[in-house]
Amino acid sequence: MISNSIAARNIFVLIYFFVSIYVCEGQNPPPASPQTKPVLLMNGIAHLGDGTVIQNSAIAFEDGKITIIADATTVRLDMKLFDVINISGKHVYPGFIAANTIIGLSEFELVRSTNDFDEVGSLNPNIRSIIAYNTDSKVTPTVRSNGVLLAQITPTGGLISGTSSVVELDAWNWEDAAFRTDDGIHLNWPSMMIDRVQKEKEKDEAKDRIEKSLLNLHDLFADAKAYSTLANPSEHNLKFESMRGLFNGSEKLYIHCEYTKEIISAVGFCKEFGVKMVLVGGADSWRITDLLRDNHIPVILGRTHSLPQREDEDADLPYKLPYLLKKAGVEFCLSVPGFWQVRNLPFNAGTAVGYGLTKEEALTAVSLSVAKILGVDAKVGSLEQGKEATLFVSSGDALDMRTNDVELAFIQGKKINLDNIQKQLYKKYMEKYGLK
Amino acid sequence: MQFVSPFVKISRQVGTSCAISVSLCLLTLLLGLSLSVSAQQTFPVNGVADQKHIYYAFTHANIYVDSKTTIDSATLLIQDDKIIGAGVDFFIPPEAVVYDLHGKYIYPSFIDMFTDYGIPEMKREKNDGYPQMLSNKKGAYDWNLAIHPETNASEIFTADNKKAEELRKLGFGSVMSLVRDGIARGASVFVSLGEGKENDLIIRKDVAANYSFDKGSSSQNYPESLMGAIALLRQTYLDADWYKSLGQDKEFNLSLDAFNKLQELPQIFEVGEKWSVLRADKIAKEFQKNYIIKGKGDEYQRAKEIAETHSSLIIPIAFPEAYDVDDPLDAMNIDLNDLKHWELAPKNPALLSAAGITFALTTADLKSKDEFRKNILKAIQFGLTPQQALQSLTEIPAEILHLKDKVGRLKNGMLANFIITSKPVFDKESSILENWVQGKRFAINNIERKDLRGNYKLKISGMDTVKLKIAGELYAPSLSLDQDTLKSAVDFKRTGDQFSMKFELKKSNQKGFYRLNGYIDPQNKQILNGIGQTPEGDEITWSASWYENFKQEIKKDTLKDKIKEELNTGDILYPNMGFGWKEIPKTTNILIHNATVWTNEKEGILQNADVLLSDGKIVAVGKNVDTSSKRIFNVQVIDGTGKHLTAGIIDEHSHIAIYGDVNEGTQSVTSEVRIGDVVYPEDINIYRQLAGGVTSSHLLHGSANAIGGQTQLVKLRWGRTAEEMKFAGWDPFIKFALGENVKQSNWGDKQVVRFPQTRMGVEQVYVDAFTRARDYDKKWKDYEHVKGLLKGTAVPPRKDLELDALLDILNSKMFITCHSYQQGEINMLMHVADTFGFHVNTFTHILEGYKVADKMKRHGAGGSSFSDWWAYKYEVVEAIPYNGAIMNKMGITVAYNSDDAEMGRRLNQEAAKAVKYGGISEEEAMKFVTLNPAKLLHVDKQTGSILVGKDADVVLWNDNPLSIYARVEKTFIDGICYYDLNRDKIMQNEIRKERARLIQKMIAAKAKGEPTQKAPRSRYKVYDCEGIHEYEKN
Repeated sequence: MISNSIAARNIFVLIYFFVSIYVCEGQNPPPASPQTKPVLLMNGIAHLGDGTVIQNSAIAFEDGKITIIADATTVRLDMKLFDVINISGKHVYPGFIAANTIIGLSEFELVRSTNDFDEVGSLNPNIRSIIAYNTDSKVTPTVRSNGVLLAQITPTGGLISGTSSVVELDAWNWEDAAFRTDDGIHLNWPSMMIDRVQKEKEKDEAKDRIEKSLLNLHDLFADAKAYSTLANPSEHNLKFESMRGLFNGSEKLYIHCEYTKEIISAVGFCKEFGVKMVLVGGADSWRITDLLRDNHIPVILGRTHSLPQREDEDADLPYKLPYLLKKAGVEFCLSVPGFWQVRNLPFNAGTAVGYGLTKEEALTAVSLSVAKILGVDAKVGSLEQGKEATLFVSSGDALDMRTNDVELAFIQGKKINLDNIQKQLYKKYMEKYGLK
Repeated sequence: MQFVSPFVKISRQVGTSCAISVSLCLLTLLLGLSLSVSAQQTFPVNGVADQKHIYYAFTHANIYVDSKTTIDSATLLIQDDKIIGAGVDFFIPPEAVVYDLHGKYIYPSFIDMFTDYGIPEMKREKNDGYPQMLSNKKGAYDWNLAIHPETNASEIFTADNKKAEELRKLGFGSVMSLVRDGIARGASVFVSLGEGKENDLIIRKDVAANYSFDKGSSSQNYPESLMGAIALLRQTYLDADWYKSLGQDKEFNLSLDAFNKLQELPQIFEVGEKWSVLRADKIAKEFQKNYIIKGKGDEYQRAKEIAETHSSLIIPIAFPEAYDVDDPLDAMNIDLNDLKHWELAPKNPALLSAAGITFALTTADLKSKDEFRKNILKAIQFGLTPQQALQSLTEIPAEILHLKDKVGRLKNGMLANFIITSKPVFDKESSILENWVQGKRFAINNIERKDLRGNYKLKISGMDTVKLKIAGELYAPSLSLDQDTLKSAVDFKRTGDQFSMKFELKKSNQKGFYRLNGYIDPQNKQILNGIGQTPEGDEITWSASWYENFKQEIKKDTLKDKIKEELNTGDILYPNMGFGWKEIPKTTNILIHNATVWTNEKEGILQNADVLLSDGKIVAVGKNVDTSSKRIFNVQVIDGTGKHLTAGIIDEHSHIAIYGDVNEGTQSVTSEVRIGDVVYPEDINIYRQLAGGVTSSHLLHGSANAIGGQTQLVKLRWGRTAEEMKFAGWDPFIKFALGENVKQSNWGDKQVVRFPQTRMGVEQVYVDAFTRARDYDKKWKDYEHVKGLLKGTAVPPRKDLELDALLDILNSKMFITCHSYQQGEINMLMHVADTFGFHVNTFTHILEGYKVADKMKRHGAGGSSFSDWWAYKYEVVEAIPYNGAIMNKMGITVAYNSDDAEMGRRLNQEAAKAVKYGGISEEEAMKFVTLNPAKLLHVDKQTGSILVGKDADVVLWNDNPLSIYARVEKTFIDGICYYDLNRDKIMQNEIRKERARLIQKMIAAKAKGEPTQKAPRSRYKVYDCEGIHEYEKN
């Protein structure tokens, strides 16, 4: 036994050496190769994503697909068929999915040349994020190493920002990364709130502006819908072409807004045009849960880690917002808009636990619920036989930063290199100072 | 000659009058002589001279000589523009024009001591978007456009009869006009509201010197923040002083010259909110000034503190309109503080009066001047005494402006400025009949007007008699016709004794309007006659005869109830907003029993321990603390079983609770500005930080410039004043900054003017600043040295607030916290510090601290970092979340800060990231947000750990504080529980109830016909470090 463990350590050192040579300083690690051999994760605490926990689990996957999810104490397996990894006492989760991000569309918020998320013009349904998604962003590996394995890449700005796609966060190029292209169009609902101006006249003008912008939006959709009935228009309109998916149901309309009035208008609007709406943001969504639930409008909530919108609101409102929706039966998931910030998605879920959600519900809110809302739940979002082996192992509770420590991660069964530029710099300077 | 003629006249009359009047008139004569400087005498006359020296006597009136003295059935005598006297048994010259004012009232005309009457609006020059560092005003004036004490309102003043008339109608006879623009606004002028040439109207120039914190139309960048405005004004005082002593040898400056000349005048200071009353007063005390402060109408919220300043105030009689709250979703966006202010604002004058504050009232800030009377009456309804109202509109402004011998009372020799009213002026039914200004009559309502009110029988030719009712107020009657049971309203217009009526008759075969003209029968005043036309154009005659008195139709009881209801206001909260206190909590003795106690001391984490808090201090820590042996009684015991107690969280880098911007980023060195001047105790984020276990926040200037402003450490004593929140006995700190913000890298293409634009330049800014500081030091030392030898003839150097602060750094009296990212610049600053012999106390952000941790350690600098921020700009390209861990392992004192109101309230979670990234122990990680920031801020002797003798700043958690699942249950500062999870729930409910009550009240006000305003977005805003222009500049 002793010699075995020494051997194991030697191998580990060898692998470490190999890896550190292979990965150049300041570079992203190479994307993983396809799975070649069935893998079996034994004895981990499996959080399936649908609320179920298997305390001592056996999870096997082959050719990128999950083949077995079972209780290790009852199932009988032939270990020889697998690369067996013992994860006893550790936690295994479905890969977290980050909705509404600009990962790969920005490298430095304030360096214009690195920003590709906000196209000029206000009506850009034909703009497609997948084209600009940069698989070589140095940010991506730092997000991935906290358990976020898929993301929706979403253009921002204007009235209609463009079309998003869902990607896997380990790829050679954007074609490779694409998981579900063009899943939906993003619309920033015009603000219906009057700014804090002094004069009543200015308030009236603001009110007029609001009404006008809503009318314009209505006209645009009426035109686009009419256009979509033409199979072969004599003159093509790229904007309308890109909106066909909304009217034939293949794409969702993600409407970004926070306040009650906007939300109510948006719901009515989508019903009128028969498009599938997803509410993004929804700080006020708890006030109109009946409307959302009865009309089957799912909500992608913004950061749990945020401040209340109004001075008098409960100080803990953003923290308990997920619970309020859960309690009211509204379909929702959590998100962290941005790019580098997305690595804190698990902790945004964790915070909601202190304020009413159960741990498993919080987990669902960053895995299966996201998959459902983005329309990718047939393949990812939970640990389920037949779904893709997009999952990770953390030595402790992944929703708590105190214990989140992602040791292994797989996307479609491919073992992801969890190194990143920040870990490299850490090592580099620990070595410089001779620290351990 | 002009002076002689009244003399002759009066003396002749004296000869025929009784003895009392003789002496009175003699006195008048003497005074009148010395004061009578009636105007425009230098002007040639085109035509024949038209001098009048008529006496006017107003007899049998109830005269308010001043707010306290009334004489019933008395006479007021005036001649030219002066009052001869007022009294009973008063000699009336036989040739006087006599007005019998039986039953009427005479008051001194009102004075508005804060108007822009006759002053054109100052417009801001359009700026091309490039920074403007210096003044572009031609001439030998101040460097800053907002400082223009040379402005003299008397030179700009142009009479405006239309505006004057507007004010006269309200009862005003004279006003102070100022140029309401800029920080040092120059001299104001006191003018009469009469008609005529400015030569006649100006009563006194240079009546007061005027100031504000608002730079107004200045196109110059500096100052762009409130703290900058404060610093600029303070420096101007110092410069003016210096200029007085020798300045002209060094620099000729018309502005400073003028500034000095204005110092003897009353000093009037306009502010934008109640806390700025206290801010202005602080400056007043510093420079031994006495400001009269023009407030905004919210002073009642801090009446006690304002009373303690002993400043006189000028209070607008403008009250906010109710909000349109019919739509609950719109109403939701109105903050409780706005709702409450709507209800309480009319109480402001009464509450200030009760607090013993002397104040004048002004029409300034009224949306429409017509609201003046309505609002005064409202204020009286809300408890302001009519006497105080009168005083605030007459004697007080006169007294403040040193004009009490000219205006404000009806005494001999004073200006004949008075009003005649039908009833006591602040009675609801009273009307101002005439306003005499400088002895000239301005009729407001016809004094001779016959009261037509009553019930009449109206007979129109060819029709049946109908009942005509004339009711309402004398000067605004309301008319109606009763045709059996059918009522119709009558449009009524009256000019003198002629009038017109327009109405429809319900029981008539002609549809449309009857139009009648009428007059009072010259023979019988109880009959109205006239002619008119029917809707179809038939000529008619008509007559109406009076048959009974008019009766005011008031259902008295319901009205009283309604008024009572309206007067029944909610409590003033501290602060006056959601989560404010009715009463600020006090310190009690508290024992937290059987908790897991994170001591941050060598005892480590104690299980099942007790902590005793008393008199604001931690008095015992350990197992089974015996309170009686400590002679501490009345102890409230809190069960800490299963809970964790830690020291209060200290945020080393915060921008909450700051008013009027966090950056004075207009110059590269602004060490003269101080966050301490602009602490804002009403930021809701103070309360929210408490809910996250924060007890102290270090409020920093932004990072827009290399040497930013002085910082302020506060304890989050929610509900208290700015001064009360300040951390007592702390060492002053100042914010420095390096990198992209300082060189304006991300501010757009026009921000390429300010030095420096490169990191190379940044270094030179420091070298230059500290070189100047050293030279400055030497100058002062030299001066101090020769001062005694030269026996007072030595000339002191110019005192410079900017250099004083830098000198404090060199003398280790002020310490640096420096916004920093990249290793090169960190290294640079330490070099500069070593060269000049000072010390960089803390590098804040310090995201590449891990690269120079050894150098920092050598220099002795601490690091206050973000846990995991990066990629938001280029200079954080190599920021890593392991930074804190590496610095810690290198022996540097490491803190994690927020720079963000949101993150600030969950710094415990950020601390936990030190466990995740770099494997710091939990006990040590918790110190990153408690003891270590206390050390960095030099307050670890007072707070930061749970140790006997330290301040009772502790937090009770329901779980391990580093867990994502942990919640704060109670936050104590100085042993006072400022946040309690259970009480928070109660407060949430109270907010809902109070909002609902106020909304119902607003709906009632709207139903009553009060104007409303649309609900705007909440006032609430959040600052961050780099928010200089917009939030995006992150």
